[in-house]
Amino acid sequence: MTNHWGDLKNADTILVMGCNPASNHPISMRWIMKAKQRGGKLICVDPRFTQTAAVADLYAPIRSGTDIAFLGGMINYILERNLFFKDYVVQYTDAPFLVHPDFKMPGDLDGVFSGYNEKDTKYDRKTWAYQLDEKGVPRKDPTLKDPNCVFHLLKKHYSRYTLDTVTRITGTPKDKCEAVYSAIGSTGKPDRVATGCYAMGWTQHTVGVQNIRAFTIIQLLLGNMGLAGGGVNALRGEGNVQGSTDHGLLFHIWTGYNPTPTASVSTLKEYNEKFTPTAKEPKSVNWWGNRPKYIASYLKAIYGDNATKENDFGYALLPKLDDGMNASWLALFARMYRDQFEGFFAWGMNPACSSPGAGKVREALGKLKWMVNVNLYDNETASFWRGPGMKPEQIQTEVFLLPCCSSIEKEGSISNSSRLVQWRYKAIEPVGRSMPDAEILNELYFRVKKLYEKEKGAFPDPILKLTWDYGEKDRNGKIKHLDIHKVAMEINGYYQEDVYDKTVNPPKLIGRKGDLVPNFVSLRNDGSTSSGNWLYCGSYTLKDGKPVNMMARRGKEDPTGLGLHPNWAWAWPLNRRIIYNRASVDPNGNPWDPNRAVIRWKPANTVTGAPARWEGDIPDGPAPPLAEKDGKLPFIMKPLGVGTIFGAGLGDGPFPEHYEPLESPVVSNPMSKKHRVNPTIPMARLQAMAKDPSFLFSFDYERYPIVATTYRVSEHWQTGVMTRHLPWLLEMQPQMFIEMSLELAAEKGIRNGDTVAVTSARGELSGVAIVTDRFRSFKVMDTTIHQVGMPWCFGWQYPADGSGGDSANLLIPFMGDPNTLIPESKAFMVNIRKIAGQRSAMQNERGQS
Amino acid sequence: MKINRRSFLKLSGATAGTFMMGGLGFDLSPVKAYARELRIKKGKETTTICCYCSVGCGILVHTLEGKVINAEGDPDHPVNEGSLCSKGSTISQMATNESRLRKPLYRAPGAKAWKEVEWDWALDRVARRIKDTRDRTFKPTVRTTVREKFAAESAEESGLYRETFADVEKEFVVNRAEGIAHVGSAALDNEECYLVQKLVRSWGLVHVEHQARL
Amino acid sequence: MIARKSFFIDTTKCTGCRGCQAACKQWNQNPATKTRQQGMYQNPPDLSTATFKLVRFSSGTGPSGDPEWYFFPDQCRHCIYPPCKMAADEKAPGSVILDVQTRAVIYDPAVKVSPEAFKAIRAICPFDIPRYDEKSGRMAKCTMCVDRVSEGMLPACVKTCPTGAMQFGDRGTIRKMAEERLDEVRKIYGRASLVVPEAVRVIFLLKDYPEKYYEYAATEDVRGITRKTALKQLLHPFAAVEEWIG
Repeated sequence: MTNHWGDLKNADTILVMGCNPASNHPISMRWIMKAKQRGGKLICVDPRFTQTAAVADLYAPIRSGTDIAFLGGMINYILERNLFFKDYVVQYTDAPFLVHPDFKMPGDLDGVFSGYNEKDTKYDRKTWAYQLDEKGVPRKDPTLKDPNCVFHLLKKHYSRYTLDTVTRITGTPKDKCEAVYSAIGSTGKPDRVATGCYAMGWTQHTVGVQNIRAFTIIQLLLGNMGLAGGGVNALRGEGNVQGSTDHGLLFHIWTGYNPTPTASVSTLKEYNEKFTPTAKEPKSVNWWGNRPKYIASYLKAIYGDNATKENDFGYALLPKLDDGMNASWLALFARMYRDQFEGFFAWGMNPACSSPGAGKVREALGKLKWMVNVNLYDNETASFWRGPGMKPEQIQTEVFLLPCCSSIEKEGSISNSSRLVQWRYKAIEPVGRSMPDAEILNELYFRVKKLYEKEKGAFPDPILKLTWDYGEKDRNGKIKHLDIHKVAMEINGYYQEDVYDKTVNPPKLIGRKGDLVPNFVSLRNDGSTSSGNWLYCGSYTLKDGKPVNMMARRGKEDPTGLGLHPNWAWAWPLNRRIIYNRASVDPNGNPWDPNRAVIRWKPANTVTGAPARWEGDIPDGPAPPLAEKDGKLPFIMKPLGVGTIFGAGLGDGPFPEHYEPLESPVVSNPMSKKHRVNPTIPMARLQAMAKDPSFLFSFDYERYPIVATTYRVSEHWQTGVMTRHLPWLLEMQPQMFIEMSLELAAEKGIRNGDTVAVTSARGELSGVAIVTDRFRSFKVMDTTIHQVGMPWCFGWQYPADGSGGDSANLLIPFMGDPNTLIPESKAFMVNIRKIAGQRSAMQNERGQS
Repeated sequence: MKINRRSFLKLSGATAGTFMMGGLGFDLSPVKAYARELRIKKGKETTTICCYCSVGCGILVHTLEGKVINAEGDPDHPVNEGSLCSKGSTISQMATNESRLRKPLYRAPGAKAWKEVEWDWALDRVARRIKDTRDRTFKPTVRTTVREKFAAESAEESGLYRETFADVEKEFVVNRAEGIAHVGSAALDNEECYLVQKLVRSWGLVHVEHQARL
Repeated sequence: MIARKSFFIDTTKCTGCRGCQAACKQWNQNPATKTRQQGMYQNPPDLSTATFKLVRFSSGTGPSGDPEWYFFPDQCRHCIYPPCKMAADEKAPGSVILDVQTRAVIYDPAVKVSPEAFKAIRAICPFDIPRYDEKSGRMAKCTMCVDRVSEGMLPACVKTCPTGAMQFGDRGTIRKMAEERLDEVRKIYGRASLVVPEAVRVIFLLKDYPEKYYEYAATEDVRGITRKTALKQLLHPFAAVEEWIG
């Protein structure tokens, strides 16, 4: 989230699209209701009539996988009617920047941008670039009239997204579409703000990143980024998925979003050269220019005294990817299926239910020599060998199921969706002989290290040199009980030596060796500081010489009245509650909307002598506002300091373009005759690789004519491992169900409460039919398209009698977004059939459901 | 008199006046104090953050003699202000749950059932597996083709700076354990996530993924 | 002394998250029952001696042609003049009591009730709330969390409600809140109404006809005479008394 949960109350218009907060983030509705009470409007755009839709002021149906068409139409609507916020757009975005004269768009090239190479399905992005002047700064046209400026290109690109075209694709009634456009478009004024919330309904598509980009463009055009009640808000799923991502539990990043190095980046110097952006724009802060400080501090944190300037701070000890190598989820399981791995950890995860193509994942687990699963409960992954269709005697995988304890049986912090890092305490001792995950990690660290000390082996240095100073050791050298506060402090970082400010004479001591570093501004690239994750630097700091856990703070003050609560816990970066907040003020530092002032520039007071300063939230960098001397542009994480409408960094196009989902009922894409699906998906290559190509995806709309999508229910969480075992929750949602419209049910002879089978190219699943008015068919390109939906929280292992059903992920294609490889779980094709009649379904004349 | 909903309604107008007098056996006056001791009165209160979605609601956990007896919203918490959804409202059942794993379980290759094992045994065996696989599948270097700058020249007459590149095959250090993959977890605390990435990367793993990719 | 209490349940703010249903089970330590999916979200299917609070789900197509989905967090209304007490006082004396402070209608778990007596008690309830455990011979339903309320705490369901759909407080405040909210809601939903606010301590605000939510959402009689009207007739003479009761 760029903003935060409580900030939803500050919005005039809330677009909920690609998410269902009433079911999946129920407490967010507290703040949405407060916005409504203030006169705000809640808009819900969704393929089905959700719990959120039920309380929305406006609901618009949309066919799964057509969000870019819908949002593209909105961009067109905003530009055609001049509803955008011109001052903001000209000064704070790249709209006036001139683009390479040879840049061409899908309207010119039948569905692709310039530079497309059909053979390797990739773009040569040479023409996706700004025109630079002699100083290397983009050329601009602040009048926005130049035909090569971003604004003009944007307008041209989306002029193809007329209301007629858009609604033919999305199946949304025209009046609903226009009502949504007009409500969002009304916020392109300084005193009107819209926010947008999304979740997996936008990300789990082959155009996932571009879905989000499309809405980001809208928010930039309307001047809604950085403002209270604005922003682009990802409603993240897992309790600590923000933190686990911040801490680099993905193949492509280390902690703090520093890229994982590849083979050819063989020294730290090369790493810094390759990954540190430089800014020729003098008014740009270019925060990522600090990357070398963060990397050096990270390496110092994990290798301590073994990390020296001479040995590149241990850079070579860490594993590197091959150049161009993808080790993401889908690739990982494809490799497991092809026998690449002997060993596998599923730590606090249940991939046998959560992964797309779950059926093949279950098979893949059988190809391992050994697997470690750490969990609170037995689950479909740990017990895969005794699952449906498995022959245990033939499965040679050795499985260790290690019991961890729950969050109330240990201490530590988690980061919520708005980057708020909160400390939680231990209420009871671990159940049975379960252990905190940290203790299990401590045991494994120690035991593996001991083996290498004793027996040597392949390159033991990275293991033997690792720092692990988290408490008192026993006589074997093992940490008896891992002190989690010491880990938190290592993440924050220390001065590794006495550090002086040498710009003054005599040099002044800034930090003493062993002291906690106050914040990431103090980090250095010379090895004199450490920080396990620069983003969390400032979360555990010294106050009056004593360490203070900022994440445990419970101050309730709300000085701005906007709900920022600056003394409650701690938010990264630097306790900032709304990121990009410098865009909430005009170039003089005055809030665009004085009634919702996130920050405000207070010029120096000539009477009292008080220096000029920012008031309100922690600003995005201390520099003065743009119009002041040394003033800086607002988007400090962007090398050019402005919000980017022209997304040249993505692999599949600088502007979002509508393509059909891999599996869709639409034979040809009305936006392009030639390219039905995202042209950067390496379809041919992948299909050649897979033994059974239909497993990846199957374009067979005759066999599978019905659009399907998946979702969650309030009562279960993710695959349900942590909720199916709770009798009170299972009572409310005991069993797999398939929701469908009255029309489709009638066509298939299905009644409410019947047992039905859903089939895709990947597998089959059964569940109870819910026949409901909340599902409707769509009129798409003059054809009637049916859709069904189902939750993915069930699994065969529990309830133990198998009554719950199984995971909807058994049906999901094994393919995803070309940028992130997030699987396309939200739009795929199935067929359904009745397999058994109802056993006295609850039905009254209104068809309760 | 037989009383049911219907007759209650029929009678209502006519007999309303008699209620106060207890004519239908309805007596308002001897109201009783219904006393039941607040069951959390002696409990200890611990604050936590909900383990489910990413809203990050505050929860008060009440414990008595080391057992969880209640859990409800933390009224001081600025995000949920005491409220909770169905999942947050029932987290007490997580601690009192019979399904919770209480000991490590082990499944030998080809076995048809789980076996309870001791921690020490399980951890030693896992450590052994990690080392053996790592040693067997460790890849210190790879040969790969990279595009390198071959020459650079400035053509004085045109003022253009020109670089020439060539594809060169070279050997690079990767120090990778190829045979082990790790997924997880967004269900861990920050400190634990940090330890996971530190530990598995020290072992040389690059196939490191978790929920954020899904 | 605690002022006489009331609830305001504003269904226009209810999102069906079932936090209340879960919190009610949790606080009362009521067991989960074995359920199955029966073609709807609502589960368990009905109130029981183990389920005092149940969110009823009802969907259909509204007059505009759009879908509608209504959530009705059902519970005992804690009638000001509880008919169940009237029946109980005759058929099972002492089984239904009025709490002196809050005026909560309480089914005393210490008192055994015969199946016949229970039949009469359930039959007279306009909202079909009383439930009975044949094995133990005890009746059970919502207790207004009197144990919490008498310690100055909110009932578990009200406290947990994320959206402000459920409010609890002194009767005067709650009635005013309900009337004011009704005025607001009426501007958008012409059919909006409060369900017999003068007769009950749990006042529901519905934006549509009661029967769209649930058979017993309001007090509709089979013959077309609304229970609402009947209750009004019933209670009218006591308008002044009601104010006194508070």
